Amino acid sequence: MSVVDKDAIEELLPGEQSYEKLDTQVTRLILDPSQHKKFWYGFAAVGFLGANVLALAIGWLLYNGIGIWGNNQPVGWGFDIINFVWWIGIGHAGTLISAVLLLVRQQWRNSINRFAEAMTIFAVMCAGLYPLLHTGRPWVAYWLFPYPNVLGMWPQFRSPLVWDVFAVSTYITVSALFWFIGLVPDFATLRDKSKGIPAKVFGVLSLGWRGSARHWLRYEQAYYILAGLSTPLVLSVHSIVSLDFAVSIVPGWNVTLFPPYFVAGAVFAGFAMVITFAIPMRKWYKLEDLITDVHLDWCAKIMLTTGLIVFFGYLCEMFYAFYSGVEWEVFLANNRMMGPYSTMFWMLWICNGLIPQILWSKKMRYNKAVLFGVAQVVSLGMWLERFVIIPVSLHRDYLPSSWGMYTPTLWDFMFFGGTIGFFIFLMFLFFRFLPVINIFEMKDLLYKKIGEDHSHAPVAEGGSH
Amino acid sequence: MELETKPVDVAELRKNLDGKAGRAYWRGLEDLAATPEFEAWMSDEFPNRSSLMNIDRRKLLKFMGASMMLAGLSGCRAPFWPNHKMVPYVNTPEEMNSGKPLQFATGMQWQGMMVPIVVESHQGRPTRVEGNDLDPTGKGASLPFMHAELLNLYDPDRKREVRRKGQIATWDDFSAESTEALKTIRTAGGKGFAIVVPPTNSPTTNRVLDEIQAAMPEARIVAWEPMNRDNTYQGTRAALGAPSEAIYDLTQADVIVSLDADYLYSGPGALRQARDWAARRDADTSHGANMSRVYALEVTPTVSGAVADHKVPVSTTQLEGFARALAASLGVAVDGGEAPGALAKWVEVIAADIRSKGTRAVVIPGEFASANIHALAAAINAALQSSAVRYTATAVRQAGGGTVRFAELISAMNAGQVQYLLMLGVDPVFSSPDFAAAFAKVPFTVSQGPYFQGGAKKALWSLPDSHGMETWNDGYSAEGHAVIAQPLIAPLHDSKSHLETLMIVGRGARGNALEEIKNTWRASGSFGEGFERAWRLALNNGIVPLTAPAVTPAGGALTLAATAPITGTEVVLRPDPTIFDGRFANNGWMQELPKPLSTLTWDNVIYVSPKMAEAQSVKSGDVISVKVGEREVRGPAWVFPGQPENTVTVHYGYGNDGDGMMARGTGFNANALYSPATQFAGMSATVSKPGGTVSLAATQLHNTMEGRDLVRVLTVGEAGHDDHGKEEGHHKEGHESGLTVDGKPWPLGHHDEQSMYHPEKEFANDLPQWGMSIDLNLCMGCHACVTACVAENNIAVVGKEQVIKQREMHWIRIDRYYGPKDTRTAFGQKVDLDNPSTTFMPVACMHCEQAPCEPVCPVAATIHSAEGLNQMVYNRCVGTRYCSNNCPYKVRRFNFLNYNDRKFTEYPEYKDLRIRLLVNNPNVTVRGRGVMEKCTYCVQRINDARQHAKIEFSKGRREVPEPKDGEVVTACQKACPTGAIVFGNIADAKSRVSQEKAKPRMYSLLKELNTRNRTTYLHAVRNPNPDLENA
Repeated sequence: MSVVDKDAIEELLPGEQSYEKLDTQVTRLILDPSQHKKFWYGFAAVGFLGANVLALAIGWLLYNGIGIWGNNQPVGWGFDIINFVWWIGIGHAGTLISAVLLLVRQQWRNSINRFAEAMTIFAVMCAGLYPLLHTGRPWVAYWLFPYPNVLGMWPQFRSPLVWDVFAVSTYITVSALFWFIGLVPDFATLRDKSKGIPAKVFGVLSLGWRGSARHWLRYEQAYYILAGLSTPLVLSVHSIVSLDFAVSIVPGWNVTLFPPYFVAGAVFAGFAMVITFAIPMRKWYKLEDLITDVHLDWCAKIMLTTGLIVFFGYLCEMFYAFYSGVEWEVFLANNRMMGPYSTMFWMLWICNGLIPQILWSKKMRYNKAVLFGVAQVVSLGMWLERFVIIPVSLHRDYLPSSWGMYTPTLWDFMFFGGTIGFFIFLMFLFFRFLPVINIFEMKDLLYKKIGEDHSHAPVAEGGSH
Repeated sequence: MELETKPVDVAELRKNLDGKAGRAYWRGLEDLAATPEFEAWMSDEFPNRSSLMNIDRRKLLKFMGASMMLAGLSGCRAPFWPNHKMVPYVNTPEEMNSGKPLQFATGMQWQGMMVPIVVESHQGRPTRVEGNDLDPTGKGASLPFMHAELLNLYDPDRKREVRRKGQIATWDDFSAESTEALKTIRTAGGKGFAIVVPPTNSPTTNRVLDEIQAAMPEARIVAWEPMNRDNTYQGTRAALGAPSEAIYDLTQADVIVSLDADYLYSGPGALRQARDWAARRDADTSHGANMSRVYALEVTPTVSGAVADHKVPVSTTQLEGFARALAASLGVAVDGGEAPGALAKWVEVIAADIRSKGTRAVVIPGEFASANIHALAAAINAALQSSAVRYTATAVRQAGGGTVRFAELISAMNAGQVQYLLMLGVDPVFSSPDFAAAFAKVPFTVSQGPYFQGGAKKALWSLPDSHGMETWNDGYSAEGHAVIAQPLIAPLHDSKSHLETLMIVGRGARGNALEEIKNTWRASGSFGEGFERAWRLALNNGIVPLTAPAVTPAGGALTLAATAPITGTEVVLRPDPTIFDGRFANNGWMQELPKPLSTLTWDNVIYVSPKMAEAQSVKSGDVISVKVGEREVRGPAWVFPGQPENTVTVHYGYGNDGDGMMARGTGFNANALYSPATQFAGMSATVSKPGGTVSLAATQLHNTMEGRDLVRVLTVGEAGHDDHGKEEGHHKEGHESGLTVDGKPWPLGHHDEQSMYHPEKEFANDLPQWGMSIDLNLCMGCHACVTACVAENNIAVVGKEQVIKQREMHWIRIDRYYGPKDTRTAFGQKVDLDNPSTTFMPVACMHCEQAPCEPVCPVAATIHSAEGLNQMVYNRCVGTRYCSNNCPYKVRRFNFLNYNDRKFTEYPEYKDLRIRLLVNNPNVTVRGRGVMEKCTYCVQRINDARQHAKIEFSKGRREVPEPKDGEVVTACQKACPTGAIVFGNIADAKSRVSQEKAKPRMYSLLKELNTRNRTTYLHAVRNPNPDLENA
């Protein structure tokens, strides 16, 4: 383990702490339903409604075809791919926090990694709906997978959409495994603290975890291997998603800058979503001790940094459009700035370029309302970015005769709203039924702070080395 | 009993072979060796089976069980799939060969004439219309109307039964009641009896009408239709002494002056005029020095004006002033030649140009221009002794007099003098409000037509009209050749033709139309000796060349009718460019066909000039009101570049009161502006903006090229100059590149010094390599290729809502761009809205060698064939639409909804639309929801030609089993009236397409993307008059 920096730990785990207090602080959310107040029921209900709207939107889509959406002749991809990329991007913070920060031994990740990972998985679930259901014939969408078949047909491996299939399916598999492995010791804690059916369920989920040294050895090996696997995924998934565009010859898509720029954008959007959930959660569940201002400060700093990278990307895109002198690129740049969708473009610059600069001020980073607001603005900005890239590039390309406009329909909004609802629903189920904070990793941190201080209470079996 | 393979003894084989003479066949060495094992195997009924002896009890029971279960499954089919039956012919009709279509020559009635057509029939089911190759007028080409006529045959909304007061009745009932009603009228010499028929030159119909007239001299027979050609006949009568047909031979014309004439698109002679015009637009021979020059004066922009060298928007008054002045300056004795004002310079320059060409100049008046214009044009042509036109006597009934008789009929009806009114194939109740107002005063009314609407709803008797492909008919083509129309199918419904109804009414008994027609022609003697043989030949060919008698100018001074001056805004009434007088209102192909120039679908509009729109702050889609006296129409405005400043054009034909699936809810009724007195003349009107908007479905929303190098247009002199490419910053192309393959110039022309692709490696096989060349110099934007493609490739009609969402399915589209006033497309210049240059570019799949769509498809549903076709595999397509996004030409079309089977959701009242399916081409897959589609280069036609070639090859009739040049003709190519589209094997340097591509005008659209298109273009060339360059 890294050199123990007592001051840093004090910042991350302030105040009077004990192992037992840590345990109860997190497990009470699961074991004691009275911890969940009206806001939980409110949001879960909203989420449930959203999930039903999504089911309706999917049902009608399957019955009628994607003609119910606003996609049209020049604009073959609209909300479907905008939202796909948006959701995938949101997932990235989870992976970054879990894997990359683990590998570089950032202690501060410990309190936020669990729910960030949950966010990743749920976001990728929402994202995955789009490429599947946006196809004209979703019942044969499995043809994108390489599987043995009597047709003797492989997917067409040159297509970035096939790369997408691999990237996203690998991503969700690794993320889910990583999440589950990390949950095993905490499931054991919950098993020990609960009775009856929950104890049985947690017992099964904990895979017979007894906290032996051998278990911990196996655990660390598995966890670090998965972290090692996840780390390149942080870079690769969104790079590959960006190749859907970069490989094409559509002006505004055919940009070599896209892979790094998309990755930075994904982390940017992901941290915005982490902040969006962390701020209310720590307040409502009184977890300020575990998710501290310092955590949020660092999240804000990462957001600011990646935001600057993204904004630099925008500047590069503009610069190279004009510098290239290519007729189509110059036109596209002008069309983005002054065309029919220029509002979107300028809002994007304001949301992602201008407003996050507030975070240079420490005072603002520590102001929860401001930080929360900026996170919302960034989420919107990243959605606008995909709008500006996808339909705005497509709606006016090479032949002016084919130019058109893209207008999303009610069903587009219902599908999008539905995925947001579905995501909220899953997140609130997660708050209710799973430990939102990694208990044993926090204990690890606590150990560095107070050592083997058992004075307060006996430590639960799963809880320490 | 299983065959155990024994090694074959070769020595034994040799022995067996010894002494065998002649041809010995064997299946394998075992056969030859004639081993006993082989004998046993041979004699076994099921060779290679597992011996039954080896099956034990358990296995047998297993098989039995499995068989019983599977047998049960076969019963599951019925609940899920319809149970189709295939029944073979007991007696196959002559020449019927399953899978091979038959072609029949027939004719289509159009504006009083017979257009020769050839209809393809699959197992007795007409599936497509093409021009008749034997017709010297069209030479196999066709126009959208001809293709769309087929769809009317299968229209589910067609009237299916005889009705009396809306109740279903029979023909016998009608016959009896009609005879009864005519009893007293007959004795009174026909007083009170009126028939309205469309003007026709059918000798048999006219003979039967004459018969009726002879039997009842007092009967009023009126040959009238709303979009009639009376102005032509009245004008020629004034100038030449007799109503005449003008037959143009534009190959003889060095100068063409069009007086509001859409001579390439509209009118019976359009096909020949387009062909001849194209022949004289040869831009390649000596840099286009021999090109004709066209001046167009237009009251409403037309496609013919768009491809003219000069066009001038004028009001009807200005047009007449111009025509008078031009006539006067060319030596026609005309009274009251007015000063043409701003047009003085045009008169001067054009007259000078005409004089310099002597007899090789012609003036063409528009079909809907006034009689005065026709008279002046005829007089000018006569004075010039133009070699590009001849006038012949017309055989159309009441030529030049129909409208007058129609007006008389209306007054007679108003006076209560008509007791029995028969309307055959025309619906004046819909078309003429004056007539409709008088209609109620007639006690016994009969309306025969294809739809239950207008007059049919109000008349006592409504009779179903047979489609032209269900009946016998005859007539003369625009050039006077005899055309016999034969039925391809028995009437689908309980309908009769006009001729049959006339016989029922006139003779009181049913007659045999075929016999009547044969009698007419037998008696006429124009088929020569041996009538039966000549008749069969006529049916086979569809056309019998005849020469109509010429009309010689009477001479003398020209007296012209006075024209009422226009005050305020001028309004003119014109037929709709696609649905015409309304006969295609329920035809999805025509409704969805973008109207040439405006690209609008599903609606008629009021064309408003940009200046007027600015002055009245009108936008396209705003409802405006056009008032002529007490008559008013309201409809959406369309701000139309090139529309004369103070003239609005209203399109006629929409807004019937039927409930046709396609016509319902489209367009507005503009018939209030029609009156037999004014017809198509300019009328003084007031235009106001009462408020409201209509959403219009145009297929092209952006109308300029944005300074991009897309449609190249140069002028004579510039054309083909070796340095024009450099001038515009393009690389040398075509033969200019100097590249050769096997010593021949490289035809594709995609290569320049920077390319990494090497032509010599291009075609790795000996297969034909398909390619297309489109001559933009000849494309006049008529959209015939679009309807031809729709008919050939079963392209779905998507409806107005979907067109507004930009989801139309046409595989080929005509891009139309506006440019500066200069006829050329100078880059970066602003569009001159008042009189823009207009260019057309047909765009279909380019079949790129390096197709951007192919590598992005995740399931390999779009792939390249060995012959260079970019193929779409519908069954494999999952519908990601990435290919469409990545297509720079945006030619791919996606089935966003299940466009081919929408009856349940959108038309619940139609329980059965199966009749509509009969129109489909069985050789082309009907695409379902969620798949991408696009131009295939008519791969079914390629394969058809190849099958033919292989059969010929196997019979030793040709040297290679591949189609010869010209044997594969795509649907668009076949239809194109000007022959702008050439298709063929580009690997063969001698093929026509290779020769086209070798022309210096050749260029590839968006060549810089290096997609290496198989379809390339030849740039357009205009021939402006240097004296008018800045006029």
